[in-house]
Amino acid sequence: MPYREKVAWLSLLSMLAVFIPYFSWTALHPPGPEIPNFGQMALYAVTSLSWAALLGIGHLLLRWRAPGEAKLPMDERDIAIAHKARGYAYGVLIAGMIGVGGMMPFTHGGWEIANAAFFMIVLAEAVFSIGIIRAYRRQHA
Amino acid sequence: MSGVIRNKIRTLRFLNGEMSQAELGQRIGLTRQTVAAIEAGKYAPSLEAAFRIADVFGVPLAEVFEWERGAPN
Repeated sequence: MPYREKVAWLSLLSMLAVFIPYFSWTALHPPGPEIPNFGQMALYAVTSLSWAALLGIGHLLLRWRAPGEAKLPMDERDIAIAHKARGYAYGVLIAGMIGVGGMMPFTHGGWEIANAAFFMIVLAEAVFSIGIIRAYRRQHA
Repeated sequence: MSGVIRNKIRTLRFLNGEMSQAELGQRIGLTRQTVAAIEAGKYAPSLEAAFRIADVFGVPLAEVFEWERGAPN
């Protein structure tokens, strides 16, 4: 498996591992309207830091197991794959931001908007990783 | 205009002492996976990479790649 596909799997799986519990908990226990809501902020901070920690540990493990591959610069196909995947992710992010920033303020407020924005960012990042994995699996650019 | 790029990289690697995909990739600045994708016809390399591949084998570009008009992708 190409090193960059492994990195994409790491990003995707670590994201699912921390953000599925976060969004599930938030859906089941909607944050109250009080501002600032320190409990919700702490939950989001712990989730984000957990993701960063998982990513950091995962990168170290990948580098330790394949130091040669990790040092190789991206070649033209790696760049083309990342560019295409970034295009898909950008589409998702823009659609999400139109909904969250342009429509939700008329019907929702506070943490609902914030969490919807977080969700769309995570979704865009997931689409980016899936786009990369899919391209390497099919050997396409 | 439909068509497909065919290549003879596998044959040329064989004729050059069964050169590995990794070695070819190393000599032209591509990963082994990218060489495999080019060889399988799944990825069309840049013009520069195509010239580099031909240069490694010491043959003209047209001996490595050819355009097959009307062939299904």
